[in-house]
Amino acid sequence: MLTVDALKQFGADTDDGLTRCMGNEGFYFKLIGKVVEDKNFEALEEAVAAKDLAAAFDAAHSLKGVLGNLALTPIYDPVFEITELLRARSDIDYTPYLEKIRQKKAELVDLIG
Amino acid sequence: MRLSSGKRRILVAEDEYINRALLKNILDDEYDIIEAEDGESAFELIGQNRKTLSLILLDLNMPKLTGLELLPRIKEDPDTKGIPIIVLTSDQESEVESLNKGAADFIPKPYPQPDVIKARISRSIELAEDRQIITATERDALTGLYTREYFYRYGELFDKYHPSTDMDALCFDVDHFHVLNERFGMAKGDEILKKIACCLTSVFSEQDCVICRKIADTFLVYCPHHDDYTEIVEKIMASCSEFATTIKLRLGVYASCDKKIDIQVRFARAKIAADKIRNNYSVYVSTYDEELLEKELFNEQLVDEFPKALEDRQFQVFFQPKYDIRGDKPVLSSAEALVRWFHPTIGMISPGKFIPLFEEDGLIAQLDEYIWRSTAEQIADWKKRLGVSVPVSVNLSRAEMYDPALVDTFEKITNDAGITKKDIYLEITESAYVSDADQIVGRVKELRDHGFFIEMDDFGSGYSSLNMISELPIDALKLDMMFIRSAFDKHNDTRMISIVIDIAEYLGVPVIAEGVETEEQYLTLKKLGCTIIQGYYFSKPVPADEFEKLLKEEKV
Repeated sequence: MLTVDALKQFGADTDDGLTRCMGNEGFYFKLIGKVVEDKNFEALEEAVAAKDLAAAFDAAHSLKGVLGNLALTPIYDPVFEITELLRARSDIDYTPYLEKIRQKKAELVDLIG
Repeated sequence: MRLSSGKRRILVAEDEYINRALLKNILDDEYDIIEAEDGESAFELIGQNRKTLSLILLDLNMPKLTGLELLPRIKEDPDTKGIPIIVLTSDQESEVESLNKGAADFIPKPYPQPDVIKARISRSIELAEDRQIITATERDALTGLYTREYFYRYGELFDKYHPSTDMDALCFDVDHFHVLNERFGMAKGDEILKKIACCLTSVFSEQDCVICRKIADTFLVYCPHHDDYTEIVEKIMASCSEFATTIKLRLGVYASCDKKIDIQVRFARAKIAADKIRNNYSVYVSTYDEELLEKELFNEQLVDEFPKALEDRQFQVFFQPKYDIRGDKPVLSSAEALVRWFHPTIGMISPGKFIPLFEEDGLIAQLDEYIWRSTAEQIADWKKRLGVSVPVSVNLSRAEMYDPALVDTFEKITNDAGITKKDIYLEITESAYVSDADQIVGRVKELRDHGFFIEMDDFGSGYSSLNMISELPIDALKLDMMFIRSAFDKHNDTRMISIVIDIAEYLGVPVIAEGVETEEQYLTLKKLGCTIIQGYYFSKPVPADEFEKLLKEEKV
């Protein structure tokens, strides 16, 4: 069961996220439930695997916007980093970033229960 | 605009459900929110809601059609370009690009505080709505040109930023536009105006010229000086050649205008110049000069000074004798009363200068009554002192024919002076009969029924129908002076005069010829059967004391 305390514990800036939700906790939790289902997580992994950096950038960029709005800082931070690297089309190994994102997302999924 | 719910409608175009949901949650109370999750469906919704959309929140990264691709499409369509767009973006470089492409504002991601979002949205809507109000009053709905008020303001602004540019004030008018409207209908008239407006904007660039439709068919242009506008006017007229009739434009130019003079006055001067060539079919361009101004000022002075002139008796009645030429020797039979204005500083002013002015201003009624009364008093004086009774005719203006009290006025004038109704003749111009036949003919009949003698003046100038002539209530026909002039100029063709004399015979009334200046004219008219002659050949109009001498001679 998701709580504000649990999210804080996780590292989310819940004050910021709740403000954007006009203080409505239920609404905030509902949107967090939606974000873990976001198809862009998969799209990012697949595009990186296929070395389609442009498509990977689009997916990361979209995720960045949503995660930022919900103030899910622990996932937002690695997504932000990978977005900037992909924007520059850096020829690097993206695995550690994807791994970090996967891990933090799994933690959030656990919180949601 | 507000919907019937009282809310304004906003489109949220954003592919991420969560972002749309956040915005909808923030804005739902105040706005009617519609949503699109990709660029194409956004474009479709914008088209469907173009009349009701107050704002678009546009995400830049969307599938199918990105925000940056959509922006120019919205801004290029006249139906949607007025809708303000706020771009949603997390990239700083996109912010500038979107603003350059016509976005009103941007909202960064992650979104700022809801209050900030609301404030930015309401400010953008307010600005756009103000702008729409300005546009609605700034531009003429028919032609898209500036309206008069904004034209003068932008003209003044132009002067402020280009103080040393030599500028011309132009006033374009369409000759007889109301007739075009009558002949072809308002819709065609509007088409003509639109065409002219379109030509004006192609000839005069809005970069350095200000153009407006002032009213009806009057267009004003404020532009850098040109030496000659003839070609431009011809070009505009040529572009109107598609219409079934010739469109004749006249252009008044106040060239290199004096910028110290109020801008409206500058264009009033251009208008004076344009009006100078009204009805002149061979001249298209007329330039304002000081002489024109003086004429305008002179006219104004005459109108201003009229009441005092009347009070000071500056107007004098002159008498031009009419001679009956049926016998061997011409006999003084009557006279026409004509007004002269003796101004204390200007001197004698010809009636041709002030009568048309007073007819326009309606002052003519006062002047005419003064002349009628003075004439009646003079007739009474001669009857009393000399024992002679020569009828004198006075002129009635068209406007006076509508006065229901006209008969009473003449009854009173003759009673007050102590003369009979046979002592004063009334001259009514033919054009008066034609313009509003039933009413005028009715009035003339009324005058005749009361015993007044009616002369139809300027006969032949007013295009009476032959059909109507036989029913006219008249006692004499007065030939229009033009007949005499054209009959005796190079053509020497007197057939028209013969026809008029035949008409008069048919009606059983005498024919009076005025403007007779030579013996040849007199003898020819006599031979043709003309009854009465008036003109310089016998006498010019003379003051009462000189006419009195003629009366005395005649008596002897």
